[in-house]
Amino acid sequence: MIIAGVDIGSRHTKVVLVDRLGNILAVYSSRTRPPLIDLVDSNIENALKQIGALRTDVSYVATTGFGRSSYPDRDLQLTDVTSAAFGAMHAFPNTKCVIDIGAQSSRAMKLAPDGRVREFKSNDKCAAGAGGFVERAAHYLEVPLEDVGRLSMNGNTPVTISSVCAVLAESEIINHVSRGETAEDILRGVHDSLSERATLLLKRIGIESEVTLVGGMGNQEGMIRSLSDTLGMPMNCPENPEMINALGAALLGIRKLEKSAA
Amino acid sequence: MITTTASRNLEEVIEECRTIFDIPGIEPAVAWKHAERGRKLIGCFPVYTPVEIFHAAGALPVGLAGGGNRLEIVHSDSRFQSFVCSIIKSTLEQGMTGMLDEIDGMVFHSICDSARNLASVYTRNFPNTPVEYLHYPQNFALPEAAMHLRSEYERLATFAASITGTTVTPGRLKESLSLYNRIRRLIRLLYGLRAERPHAIRTSELYSLVRVGNLTPPERHAEILVEALAAIERREGKSRDRLRILIVGSFCEQPPIDLISAVEDAGCYVVDDDFLIGRRWLIGDVDTGVSDPLLALADGYRNQSVASPVKHDLRVSQSQMLIDRARRLNADAVIVLCAKFCEPALFAYPLYRRALQAAGIPNLFLEFEEKMWMFDRVKNEIETFVESMLFA
Repeated sequence: MIIAGVDIGSRHTKVVLVDRLGNILAVYSSRTRPPLIDLVDSNIENALKQIGALRTDVSYVATTGFGRSSYPDRDLQLTDVTSAAFGAMHAFPNTKCVIDIGAQSSRAMKLAPDGRVREFKSNDKCAAGAGGFVERAAHYLEVPLEDVGRLSMNGNTPVTISSVCAVLAESEIINHVSRGETAEDILRGVHDSLSERATLLLKRIGIESEVTLVGGMGNQEGMIRSLSDTLGMPMNCPENPEMINALGAALLGIRKLEKSAA
Repeated sequence: MITTTASRNLEEVIEECRTIFDIPGIEPAVAWKHAERGRKLIGCFPVYTPVEIFHAAGALPVGLAGGGNRLEIVHSDSRFQSFVCSIIKSTLEQGMTGMLDEIDGMVFHSICDSARNLASVYTRNFPNTPVEYLHYPQNFALPEAAMHLRSEYERLATFAASITGTTVTPGRLKESLSLYNRIRRLIRLLYGLRAERPHAIRTSELYSLVRVGNLTPPERHAEILVEALAAIERREGKSRDRLRILIVGSFCEQPPIDLISAVEDAGCYVVDDDFLIGRRWLIGDVDTGVSDPLLALADGYRNQSVASPVKHDLRVSQSQMLIDRARRLNADAVIVLCAKFCEPALFAYPLYRRALQAAGIPNLFLEFEEKMWMFDRVKNEIETFVESMLFA
């Protein structure tokens, strides 16, 4: 029996296949593009190919992310908050708080010992608090996105980016470039700016250790370092942090499946 | 205008209700005024107004409920600060854009500082519209509170008579009290039915049935409610596994109806709320068999009215009443849905939250504005809240 967790995010659509015990069998991710139904079907097929399984082997599909209600063949739909919480708890069982920084939004949540969300705050109004801002900064600096995390780690004198608006923050970056600041220091400044916003979200729900970072920004080591520094505590970050929400959805799918079988 | 057809189903009744109230202005009430030559309209700002007095004077009490999300605020922003709630601004905006030109008198009350200021600002901007301001009692413990309120109501009756030319006699007032007693009983029936069988009527539908009374003559409103009750009885529906939710906090400014639907679509049955609470403010019938019906109406406010953050009745704990209400309704959780910058609701919230937490009742706080038109974020929050309980 295979359970598929599908995270239909604003930038990428991720699929995690698990077995009934929650063991990860395959993962697959591709850029989100319409039509979403075909995209989800195709991503599930691509994940199944990795393990030589067929679509008929998938007995349950749980969706999450902004497009969660767009896939008609879903058995369960969950908000990204719920799925991020369960996914993070699965990866780090002592997690008390989760910060999820995606492409277009970020959110902080406090968890109950069983992984349920006790409280959460989200920032989905302002792109300056999400990964899309880093993408634009990298584009302006002509730096490949996959190098951003490493370059930020080399920034020793981070610049200050104080604007809370992504558009104004980009203007600040342009000013820093014109003043001759290095890409490393600017990118570290970008990460610090994101960390400050994430920390504000976490403070609103009450920070408790351990804190786990999930979402695509967790792939950037500079982001993890910046967030740890700002919070003043070590930060958990799972492997493939962008897949955690899909994993959480799949795990909750198992739980729901067991509940209905009981 | 709504027409009665014995076999109309609930959807048809609701659709017609929405065509009446789901507009930024008060056109249906104006149409009534033009049809009833010589009759008058008296605008009643929320939360509660003793509308029986105006009805007894021959006027149509018009329930003001803001301008909704289709009224652009242009003039009011220069007269009120940015931290004032939406309904204050939209009510003035309605006036300044001519939507309330046919209103012959306005009534405001001492529910909050913003409403108090609106009364003054309205008077200053519309010197030709008579405006009355009603002082509700602040100390309910004293029996004199009813006498104080009676004198306020008497002033209101004089005000209404000066507009309509019809004196509010005890006989006329008793007739009006009987009619409004009947409407409140019908609304209570609908609320009780929804609490018992929430799958039989959506909250957005119930809301429509109550809200239509803002712009409809009470005689007609009673007919609509009777028709709706019959239609609900005929309706077939299946109960689903959903959370039973109690919503409080939206007693004055009203959330967009799509927001109410969003709560339900997120997987909840709303089993009680305080939307348009002024229309069921009195929880029992006002005694019409007395010699002084004005005092009976005032006594109803003092001793037979709902608990509300705009009523300072220190004889009861509002928090405890909320807990009791949630338990009585077998509610799984409480959503505190407050209008942005609504001081009475925001002052009440910390007390509610503390009491709900102590009682172990899950709760969620949400803010809204009447101009709101995107509900994804709120829906996301409610869905997450529901999921946190479902996966317990």
